[in-house]
Amino acid sequence: MRKFFPVEELARDQRFEQITMRQAQADPRTVLNAESRNKTNRLTPDRADASDRARGLMHGIFVGEIQALEGAGRTCWDFETGTEAPFALKLDMARQAWDEARHVEISVKLSDWMGTEIGQFAENTVLFEAACSNDPVLRLAGVNRALEGLAIDVFTTMKEFGDLAGDPFLEFCEDWMLADEVTHVKMGSDWLRRITENDAERRKKALEFQQVVDKLFSFGGTRSDSKESPIGLARRFRELAGFTDTEVEDIAEMSLKALEERKAFAAAALAGDTTADPA
Amino acid sequence: MTVTVTPEEFRFVHFDAAQTARIADDVARLTGIDRPVQVEIDETTPLSRVRIDLGDTIVLHVESGAFEDTKRPRHQSETATAASLARCLLKARDRLEGGFGEAPTDDDLTLQQAAAWDTYCAGRMARLGLTVNQQRFRYNFRNRFGFTDQVDTRFERVWAADALTWGELQSLTSGESMVVDAP
Repeated sequence: MRKFFPVEELARDQRFEQITMRQAQADPRTVLNAESRNKTNRLTPDRADASDRARGLMHGIFVGEIQALEGAGRTCWDFETGTEAPFALKLDMARQAWDEARHVEISVKLSDWMGTEIGQFAENTVLFEAACSNDPVLRLAGVNRALEGLAIDVFTTMKEFGDLAGDPFLEFCEDWMLADEVTHVKMGSDWLRRITENDAERRKKALEFQQVVDKLFSFGGTRSDSKESPIGLARRFRELAGFTDTEVEDIAEMSLKALEERKAFAAAALAGDTTADPA
Repeated sequence: MTVTVTPEEFRFVHFDAAQTARIADDVARLTGIDRPVQVEIDETTPLSRVRIDLGDTIVLHVESGAFEDTKRPRHQSETATAASLARCLLKARDRLEGGFGEAPTDDDLTLQQAAAWDTYCAGRMARLGLTVNQQRFRYNFRNRFGFTDQVDTRFERVWAADALTWGELQSLTSGESMVVDAP
């Protein structure tokens, strides 16, 4: 079986439409007349468009779980046991793949509950792209710490949404998936420390890679402490998952920077930069 | 009946004014609208609100997200366009035909009132043969009224209803009374 699978060849049926992060961020409408819109973009039930936005985010979680499953599964297969990755690490990745598969099923059921069809929204493939590194330590940094860290933020937002709306299924399911994600991040943090214990340079490289991925996963400001971002930064759960206070502050700062950069990027697209046009 | 769409050319989205006019014409006939319709698309926002101005001409101020294909951002969806137009034109018809005189203006509708009216429109759209995901509207109704069996029963009644007045719609959604089905 083939190793190191490219993002362009992920197996999807005709229901799915995939877009890149560049396409997702190049929409000039997101910055036009922005000052006349709501001061907050945070997903809460008191928004007039709350149900539809929640449906969109739920679909994003669904495709994210598929890509997380693919990422963890690839880590089990792509690296030689012993020489490239310890067996126990692969066992953890297999356990994670099992969790992600369950999350996919839960997300399908929640989407159905919310009135969303599979593939109804575009699938952003950026999550799997973070899982394509050929160094298992970088993969742990990208997938377990950055991707699963984002999952903690997203699930916390959705759990709060379900709680406020009085939706017992959404609140319950997100809470349980959130608990799994905290475990996945913790696994990534622990393995990163263990494998790079005597290799400071490799650890530094992995943490730098994580920063790059974290910035990507800030989705141009979709996740940050700012009320302009639909998804907040779940500081407490990140702490439980093994992030230090400094790391959380760094992500918060980076997310706000990503928000400003996305605004500038969309403005450039508006000014006629055709490379930003998704058409 | 005439339908006009502005702008004729789009800069920020890949929409088609002629296609929009054709869909609007079909939907206006389907929903029984007998006066000119003007569709003004605001392509500078990805949001999906629609504002209705009633007069000799029905003017629909549409944010581009209301017509957008969620699979392909910035591209137009025929299904979404038809659904958004139908929902607005049914609301316009409700106000024009009478019985909805005491309904607040669109801007003053509460989230519950808006959800109830959307449900009432969506049920009729489904019976007119338009593509409507009932569960999507059920979910929105639950978000506004609660996740209980009683609320689901009210949803079913609103969904199945025709020719309601505003007062009847309010009674149905509040659970104060039930409309008796015709024999």
